[in-house]
Amino acid sequence: MPLDNVVFWVFAPISIGSAIAMLFQRNAVHAALFLIVNFFTIAVFYLVLAAPFLFAVQIIVYAGAIMVLFLFVIMLVGVDREESLIELLHWQRPGAIVLGLGLIAEVVAAVRAGIGFAAKAPSHFDELVNKGGNPAALSRLLFRDYFFPFEVTSVLLIVAAIAAMVLAHRRRGIAPVEAEAGVTEGTGVSGSEPLV
Amino acid sequence: MLKSIWLVPALPLAGFAVNLFVGRKLGRWAGILASLLMVASFAVALGVLNDLLELPAENRLFLRHLYDWIGVGRFHVAADLRVDPLSMTMVMIVTGVGSLIHIYSIGYMHGDPRYGRFFAYLNLFCFFMLTLVLAQNFLFLYLGWEGVGLCSYLLIGFWHDRPSAANAAKKAFIVTRIGDTFMLIGVVLIFLRLHSLDFQQVLFPHCGPGMHCPPVAFHTQPSGVYTIIALLLFAGAIGKSAQVPLHVWLPDAMEGPTPVSALIHAATMVTAGVYLVARTHVFFEISGVALVVVLVVGLVTALYAATAAVGQDDIKRVLAYSTISQLGFMFFALGLKAYAAAIFLLVTHAFYKALMFLSAGSVMHGLQGETDLKKMGALARAMPVTTAMFAIGALAVSGVPPFAGFFSKDQILAAANQTGHEIVWLVALVAAFFSALYIARLIFLVFFGDDRTELHAHESPPVMTIPLGFLAVGAAVGGLLGLSAVTGKLQTFLAPVLGEIPEPSAGLSEAMLTAISVVVALAGILVGWFVYGSGKIDWMALRVRLSSVQRFLAGGWYVDDVYAATIVAPGKAGSAFLAYVVDEGVVDGIVNAVGIFVQWLARVTRRVQTGFVRTYALAFLLGAVALLVYVGFRL
Amino acid sequence: MRTPIAYFLVVSAALFAIGTVGVLVRRNALVIFMSIELQLNAVNLTLVAFSRMNGDLIGQVLTFFSMVVAAAEVVVGLAIIVNVNRRRRTANVDDLNLLKW
Repeated sequence: MPLDNVVFWVFAPISIGSAIAMLFQRNAVHAALFLIVNFFTIAVFYLVLAAPFLFAVQIIVYAGAIMVLFLFVIMLVGVDREESLIELLHWQRPGAIVLGLGLIAEVVAAVRAGIGFAAKAPSHFDELVNKGGNPAALSRLLFRDYFFPFEVTSVLLIVAAIAAMVLAHRRRGIAPVEAEAGVTEGTGVSGSEPLV
Repeated sequence: MLKSIWLVPALPLAGFAVNLFVGRKLGRWAGILASLLMVASFAVALGVLNDLLELPAENRLFLRHLYDWIGVGRFHVAADLRVDPLSMTMVMIVTGVGSLIHIYSIGYMHGDPRYGRFFAYLNLFCFFMLTLVLAQNFLFLYLGWEGVGLCSYLLIGFWHDRPSAANAAKKAFIVTRIGDTFMLIGVVLIFLRLHSLDFQQVLFPHCGPGMHCPPVAFHTQPSGVYTIIALLLFAGAIGKSAQVPLHVWLPDAMEGPTPVSALIHAATMVTAGVYLVARTHVFFEISGVALVVVLVVGLVTALYAATAAVGQDDIKRVLAYSTISQLGFMFFALGLKAYAAAIFLLVTHAFYKALMFLSAGSVMHGLQGETDLKKMGALARAMPVTTAMFAIGALAVSGVPPFAGFFSKDQILAAANQTGHEIVWLVALVAAFFSALYIARLIFLVFFGDDRTELHAHESPPVMTIPLGFLAVGAAVGGLLGLSAVTGKLQTFLAPVLGEIPEPSAGLSEAMLTAISVVVALAGILVGWFVYGSGKIDWMALRVRLSSVQRFLAGGWYVDDVYAATIVAPGKAGSAFLAYVVDEGVVDGIVNAVGIFVQWLARVTRRVQTGFVRTYALAFLLGAVALLVYVGFRL
Repeated sequence: MRTPIAYFLVVSAALFAIGTVGVLVRRNALVIFMSIELQLNAVNLTLVAFSRMNGDLIGQVLTFFSMVVAAAEVVVGLAIIVNVNRRRRTANVDDLNLLKW
């Protein structure tokens, strides 16, 4: 069996499994951890698909920065809060599951109608496209053809940083506003009438 | 000076503008300014008249173009003024009598809080009236026509906090509006059929433009068209000149201040109808039927109003019905083709009726506003000047020589006799008898007999009595203007415009006719004296015995009540239906229903917004999946 | 590489669907946010797979930008969650229900 097939068939279940597991965790920290596992599998997929640069970036940025940030905020917000199992919106769960399955079905149908399940990727990708290595090839695109969006994203990051500072700023000496009506510890009861 | 004719209406208009804006600040000077402007207008008119007389008699016509007023497609109307004998006669009356009444009002309206506004309205009225008589086309005339109606409304209801005055003003405007509407249709018809509104082109189509030529009944359309036009124009005259059946507004119009009654409802506005018919008499001559209608309406009105005047208890209402009756005589004369005689009566009537109204105002001023005849009497001693003035006017009305009224009325009665239909002349004589009777009654009840007043009366100030004097002179000697029955000076002056008075053809001789009319007048006065002045008959008791007759006459033969029952009441019921059932019920109901529906719809659909973000997210997903399915199937 | 590209697409679709269900079903704001990240990653995977199939790097460039934007979005989103939590003392999305009839 070719190596990439093996890799695929090992990591694909892990990927989907960790995603579903994330869904079922009542504790937010556990969910974050499963998501990190999922990100690692996706990084491996990038590697298989001849994108080694993105493999590295995925691990560094997503798993390393974003999820860490998530974990910070979870700690801040309440690490021991458990989400209740009771669902007040009766049709929410069944509807979501049905629609999710429908989504998958649609994509499968689209793929079958499009490229088909047998199409393989063209060969000689590394020699032709990733000339000088994947980073070098990417940089040739980024710094020439897509230079302007590149600069704009740098501005975007600055703006995001400032926005975060502004939004999360806490005035010194003022205690946070006391809880208003409808705040409970992790339950869904809030005194309003659901539609369905 | 002819070119300055535009000053004649412009000066009062200027007075209106000034008094409208700064009238209150002017105080006393508002009245003086207004009167001065009217006198100036009279002076200019005098100059124009002088220039007009210098022209040869067959060519006394001057047209002054002011500006192009309306120009739409093929419809062109200019603001043109026409100077000819007829219009100048009217102008002299309006400016002359108008000036005297302005001066009189300085004293009469003294102390009124809206003093300045009164003179503004008075000046505005004179402007519109002068526009009316000087207009060279029908639309410009109609402008003046409507304007005087407006001013009449404003002035009748001048003391607008009095409900009776406000109602009277409304009534006047609405009733004349009925006539005006018909008149407007007539004007439209003139344009449609005769393709112009200019007097030269419509009334003298056989002359060149701007030229004067004798008025010949020359027609380009079938005579039926002219009948309709003439009748429609006459309908306007019926309204404005208070003829039967649209006369009901004039007695009530006495709610206005007495100078208003004198100027508008005696001398000028109500004569606009007579002027109109005289001006457009060619239509009536072509038609024939219209002329008969005019004659009958005039005669009926003259008799009806004269009888009603006998039963009135209010001094001004007697004079109001007298005015209606005299206007009836004028239209009667027009119907007899004696157009110049009608205008002559118009001129003399302006003098003596204004004189009597102003004298009545003097009486009311002396009695602090009292108008009830039953509460007057023996005022001759306290108010000698007024008594003398009134007496002159009374003799003029009755038609006693040598006062003005005699000559004018005599001419008309003579013309009536010449028609060959004796009945017309006899009815006119009966009306003349009643004219003398009601005036004699008035004089004897007010100035002589027992003193039934409860006040101590005093004579009026000179600013009021001096204009009376001028008018009295006019009433006394105005007759000289038409000294001879057929070829008097006024008639000669008006002949180029109005044609000659028909020659005597049949009937009694001139001397006989004059004698009969004098006898009739004296008989009326005698009866009046006998019943009311001599003391030999207890007229109070007679009045009680004949109370139903008296009430019938006083109520104007109950015409007002008939109108109220047949027209006003159904109208009110209809309006109430439309207002409450249709407007409030149906229309408002529909609008409210829309609102209620929207509210209901909102109440039902806003429950979609539950506040739960997750519900909204589910909706998103549902939409997205559906869209994908749709796209997938299409591809 | 001998794996058919379609398999990657199916995996990516499955991850996307799971992320969607997570957004709809979970009530903790942070877990919802994490599900959104999952969705983003699924899309990135699709892009890279197509890039490999088409034989150029445009998909990878797009994925690069997508990651940058996702990072910025996470930063701002978490700041908002922190703020809301500060005011309402709750991380439960159902408690934020004032925008209703």
